[in-house]
Amino acid sequence: MNKRTFLAGLLTSIVFSLGACSSEPSATNPSPTSGKGTPLAVGAIPDQDPEKLQRLYSKLAKYLEAELGVPVTYKPVTDYTAAVTAFKVGDLDLVWFGGLTGVQARLQVPGAEAIAQRDIDAQFHSVFIAHKKTGIAPIQDIKDLTVLKGRTITFGSESSTSGRLMPQFFLQQAGLKLSDFKGQVGFSKSHDATLKLVEAGTYEIGAMNEQVWLSRLKEGTIDQSKVQIIWRTPAYYDYHWVINPAVKERYGADFPQKVQTALQKLNPDVPEQKELLELFGAKKFIPTENTNYAQIEKIGREIGKIK
Amino acid sequence: MRSPLMVWGLGTLGVVILCLGYAGVFQGEIINPGGWGQVWQFIAASAQPDLSPELLRVTGKATLVTLSYAVCGTFLNLLLAIGGGLLSSEVWWLSVFPDRSRGRPPALWLGVRALLAIPRAIHELVWGLFFVNIWGLDPLGAILAIGIPFGAITAKVFADILDETPRQALTVLLNSGVAAPSAFAYSLIPQAFLNLLSYTFYRFECSIRSAAVLGIIGAGGLGYEILLSLQSLQYRQLWTLIDALIILNGLVDFGSAWLRQQLGCPNRMDLTVHAPNRTVGETRSPYLLLPVLLLVPICFWYLHPNVAHLWAPRTGKLLTQIVQASLPPDFSLVPQLLPLSLQTLAMSVPAIAVAALGGLILAFPAAHNLFLPGGILHRSRSGIGGRSGAWGLLLLARMILLLCRAIPAPIWALVILFVFFPGILPGALALGLHNLGILGRLLAEVIENLDQRPLEALQAQGSPPSLLFLYGVLPLTLPRFLAYALYRWEVCMRETVIVGVVGAGGLGQLLTEQLSSFDYRGVVTTLGCLVLLTFSVDWFSGMMRRSLR
Repeated sequence: MNKRTFLAGLLTSIVFSLGACSSEPSATNPSPTSGKGTPLAVGAIPDQDPEKLQRLYSKLAKYLEAELGVPVTYKPVTDYTAAVTAFKVGDLDLVWFGGLTGVQARLQVPGAEAIAQRDIDAQFHSVFIAHKKTGIAPIQDIKDLTVLKGRTITFGSESSTSGRLMPQFFLQQAGLKLSDFKGQVGFSKSHDATLKLVEAGTYEIGAMNEQVWLSRLKEGTIDQSKVQIIWRTPAYYDYHWVINPAVKERYGADFPQKVQTALQKLNPDVPEQKELLELFGAKKFIPTENTNYAQIEKIGREIGKIK
Repeated sequence: MRSPLMVWGLGTLGVVILCLGYAGVFQGEIINPGGWGQVWQFIAASAQPDLSPELLRVTGKATLVTLSYAVCGTFLNLLLAIGGGLLSSEVWWLSVFPDRSRGRPPALWLGVRALLAIPRAIHELVWGLFFVNIWGLDPLGAILAIGIPFGAITAKVFADILDETPRQALTVLLNSGVAAPSAFAYSLIPQAFLNLLSYTFYRFECSIRSAAVLGIIGAGGLGYEILLSLQSLQYRQLWTLIDALIILNGLVDFGSAWLRQQLGCPNRMDLTVHAPNRTVGETRSPYLLLPVLLLVPICFWYLHPNVAHLWAPRTGKLLTQIVQASLPPDFSLVPQLLPLSLQTLAMSVPAIAVAALGGLILAFPAAHNLFLPGGILHRSRSGIGGRSGAWGLLLLARMILLLCRAIPAPIWALVILFVFFPGILPGALALGLHNLGILGRLLAEVIENLDQRPLEALQAQGSPPSLLFLYGVLPLTLPRFLAYALYRWEVCMRETVIVGVVGAGGLGQLLTEQLSSFDYRGVVTTLGCLVLLTFSVDWFSGMMRRSLR
């Protein structure tokens, strides 16, 4: 093969590839204004392992499709910031947010509504855990959190409500600043990682989601000779579904209510739906509203997570 | 030659010790023995990855997605690099404006170089998050997040290659009145073609690793699945996915090395020396490139990015929004940026030291021309035992290097954190381990492409292998080793952004905090600081490399 035919081949394939990328999308990604045929884009901050999620996705999408009569696509995003941003630009219509991220998302999309939460989310708790070697005794009164001064501490993800925002808020109420802890505060990125890092003794104290603690306890994966709960926070509102107002134009003004009803209707007595609820770690979904998160918003502003 | 090496060597040692001191290595506890159990669980799970059909299906699909992102990202990277490389090369401007500059390229050249340095300084993950802001969750964002920073890096290397290619032929053409573009097309570019191609293949290998990290912001693929299984500490699933990543990396690295061999360009860009006899040659079997090029349209088709987003009105609107939200930068942060920059630097220096030293040690056994039968340092009388020992050593060294570079730095960070107390050191180790794998492989290739003549001369004089190594191999490779290590330092600095889990603070932690608070004005300020820091590191490493020539 001489150089000229080689170059010709090279050019052809480049042109071909450009052609491929400009023509293909119009067929698969219809523009977002095209009405009822556009799928409802459901997103979630997944905190399960890939295999479980695979089951959760397909089940949830199938259930919602049947209940709502519109096509549903599931777009998983692991990064809180990316999920909020995607909701803002309109690429996600219905998202399973944490308390703080839900508020952040609603503030960026006027008209967005919190519609449903799990039964446990209205009374959510975080726990502070400590390595046994630290000798820190369980704390009864919030003021006694000051004994944690000078220890090392890790949170979960930066924008996690149960793994960071509320724990930091309660520490503040006890008069503790982040600079009162030894070294830099850690961000383990997940509740499980917080648990394991404290169990290993890397960090002396950790703050995590109580639900994760309880389910790991049930699974028997916590080494209780090494780590224990030292304080349980007061209750607050956490995870919830938030819906984008754009869906009203597409599927009708009552669509948010329809979604709310569909989620509420999930019934633990129906085996298929029971599995879905279990994957979510819930007995059922209950309605919620924006005003439930006023406290979270206030704390978010105080701590600087909402500008 | 020897004295600047000594000066720099001692200086570097001093700086590394200083940084380690800053990291608190010489005071208090650094190792946490309580975490060995966890690390053991992680290691033990590697022996029994989860092979359930469900997970295997997920893994297979994720692997294809990651590969496709890498292919598309590299393609875009190449397009940008060709344009950017020409415009940022000295020789281009000297050819276009031959009279205006008496040997000095115009200010425009410096301008383009500075402009290209900005995308380079920003980590792909930050680019990715920015693109989610204007295009939403479209594969387009991830492709550009790889293509743009890598394009800028490649442009710089392309410019260096063009500038270091002999100019006689070009000068002849220019002097006889040929216009600059045609003169380039018929002299410099064909001359440099193999070097450019070789570097492009290297970038493709980097894209695979980058695509894996990008998975977590919605791009999907192996990175996404790995993050999920790591978050829930499902180590057996994690290993299935890591194994897939290792196989993918291994295949791509091997394929690229084989192709380069076939095409006649085993040498990567030589970063130090003005090689007078750079191979000016025909591509040996160019048709081998065609299947590679065919991958491009296939991968674009597989991911189907919505290219229409590029000029959609929504993009313009969202871009305006984000620019408005980011201006003016938040200058109140400036006083706290200096200590944070120091922390970032203090993490990057031990990181590159670990990477360079580890890479150096592993590169020799990993190179196929030293200890194997027929190799330079092979003892001719060794029996079968010695021969299989040499092969075993080679495979072991290569496996370690592959494992190190295939596992993304954030995962190394979490594993290391179990047995180290939080701080700069675990972060530096994580970055060091990941980059060790990359440097070791680059260095092994340097060794494999050594100029054999001086070594043969030494051998003919009857030098024993130990002397051959000390007086032949080492002096020939060391300057290039250092050049690669310095080059990689900049990368280590960028990557400090993604190992926030270690609780080392630095600019990375501030940036993550600002991104998750949607504090765009703060983000712009921190990014500005990171860019400046990268400029300084770039300038410093350039100075060191020049003095090593």
